Amino acid sequence: MLLTESQSKDMLRAHGIAVPEGLLIRKPDQIKRWRGELPVAIKAQVASGGRGKAGGVLRANGVAEAQFAAKQLCDMKFGGEAPRALLVEPWVAHEREMYLAITIDVTAGGYVVLYSPKGGVEVENNAPLQYAFGSPRAFRAHALRKLLGEAEPDAGLRERLITLVRRMLYLATAADAMTVEINPLTVVDGKLIALDAKIVRDEAAAFRHADLAAEMEDARKREPKAMARALADNLMMVWLDGEVGLISGGAGMTMAAMDMIADAGAKPACFLDCSSNPTPAGYKLAFSILDSEPQVKAILFSIFGGGTQIDRVALTLHDVLKARKSKKPVVIRMNGTGREACDAYMKEVGLLNHDSLEAAVADVVQKAGAA
Amino acid sequence: MSVLIDQTSRVLIQGIAGNFGKFSARDLKSYGTQVVAGVAQGREVKEVEGVPVYPDVRSACRETGANAIITYVPAVVAFDAVLDACDAGCKVVVYPGDGLPVQDAIEVRAAARANGAVIVGPNTPGVISPGKAKLGFMPSFCYTQGRLGVISRSGSLSYEACLRLTNAGIGQSTVIGIGGDPVKGLNAAEAVELLHNDADTDAILYLGEIGGNDEYAVARYAARAGAKPTAALIVGKAAPPGKKMGHAAAMVGSHADSHGAKVAALRAAGVRVADKLAGLAAAAQAALDAAKS
Repeated sequence: MLLTESQSKDMLRAHGIAVPEGLLIRKPDQIKRWRGELPVAIKAQVASGGRGKAGGVLRANGVAEAQFAAKQLCDMKFGGEAPRALLVEPWVAHEREMYLAITIDVTAGGYVVLYSPKGGVEVENNAPLQYAFGSPRAFRAHALRKLLGEAEPDAGLRERLITLVRRMLYLATAADAMTVEINPLTVVDGKLIALDAKIVRDEAAAFRHADLAAEMEDARKREPKAMARALADNLMMVWLDGEVGLISGGAGMTMAAMDMIADAGAKPACFLDCSSNPTPAGYKLAFSILDSEPQVKAILFSIFGGGTQIDRVALTLHDVLKARKSKKPVVIRMNGTGREACDAYMKEVGLLNHDSLEAAVADVVQKAGAA
Repeated sequence: MSVLIDQTSRVLIQGIAGNFGKFSARDLKSYGTQVVAGVAQGREVKEVEGVPVYPDVRSACRETGANAIITYVPAVVAFDAVLDACDAGCKVVVYPGDGLPVQDAIEVRAAARANGAVIVGPNTPGVISPGKAKLGFMPSFCYTQGRLGVISRSGSLSYEACLRLTNAGIGQSTVIGIGGDPVKGLNAAEAVELLHNDADTDAILYLGEIGGNDEYAVARYAARAGAKPTAALIVGKAAPPGKKMGHAAAMVGSHADSHGAKVAALRAAGVRVADKLAGLAAAAQAALDAAKS
């Protein structure tokens, strides 16, 4: 889960990493509470990237100007998201902008440190230096020192960077963070300060972090109603806004079916993977969500089950479809462990179990177009 | 000889007394795989599906000579279960579960490497060497013995792909589900090395997706001198940026994560990339043909 800047900075501060002293406000006129220095930076708090480039950070020299800027930001959207709050901070005059992050890398089998002496909004144009170490216990300051020597001539700064990486690593371990990114990182009077920060916490670790579980619950509530229902019941869903409903199992097959629908000239309505909840309740909910969305014209039910025994899925689906009220066309493609039983169950509800995904996609795209 | 497992493998099931453990014991035995032992923490059982149950992995391995493990325990205790398997000296462990915290995956991986063991997973259906042995829960009818090595980030897609290969008369040497998580016990770079060094594998098929950098590791392999001919299919072309597609690692965050960038890198390295699922068997056959010439 991607945290906002202010949430991320709270975690940095708690782990001994310097950040500007800011004020978090929910409404523009709360800026009157600011007692710090002027000018200020006013920063939209959203959990999406590219905020700086999109104009989500404004500078104000006085209170009236700040209030105006705050109103302006509250009316903007970033990656479709309205700001949840604004972070007000003293405007930190600085010369250098560096990039420093630790993040997960599959080939490294764990964490890597990324460092670029030139950070800021254009960081993607310069490939950062990379130190891959995997397990936090395998991190070696001397290996990082050697690497930084190539890019950072100031020996004192190198040591402060290494100390900072250590703290970021403690934070990542303690909070189950997959990414801790500081960009830009700057130097003021010899001291490293995180001007902006982004932390991604591991949702799979929510069972051991009450604060993360609560944050995920809040994030669910911010989703549109259909999404919130799916996520609350452990269905993996992404809304894609097309006309072909897709109920599937397994991330790879769900994406393969999405791609095939798109190749057939139609648009999938969603990525909806039921493999985490392959129960009567899970499938019933999946149909109920797609049936209640008027833009969904037809539904493809496509599952290739291994551990999810497909004969059980077919029986469940049979019961769900018998009780279902909606007249939206449903197209079926089921295969996998126990597949012999599927055709008969589907025949009882008047449906054909297609042999191939291609045939099923052609059928559902045709039915969605005709509806 | 195939990779990771073969007909001599002696399998232990951790979590054998649960519904899924029982199902898997029956399924593996019906495939002809030797299931010699089980472990079932928290349950007082002596035997499940005719398989003797032991108090821990070490005693099970000592009594039965078990040397390959599949672990059906929930994510909250997976770390401890896999450590039990590694400490017992077992060299091949499949962890199929999903929802394992990344920190735990890192530590599990590090513990395995320190013991000279390989963890396959998390979030995988396992490994199958068709006609020889199975250490997973993939539908057996999809597979047939042959000389194409397959690596997949997705379980369901590997069933679909292998059924298409089998129907096209293309058999598989070993099919390795590396799983969809951001940190894997066995990543694509390492899986490719196993198949590269396997005398029973002539060519490699890689089934990838958006997000992560496994696909670039495959491209680096394919570009090197003496690499076995490689084919690939990458799914997620229709996925929007910034959204996680079910798998924790399947998300387009940067350009390098995207379908287009990955396909271009693989093609530049000489990988035969199928445009769509329908072209998969032909791409795999082309790789096998290239291996003969």
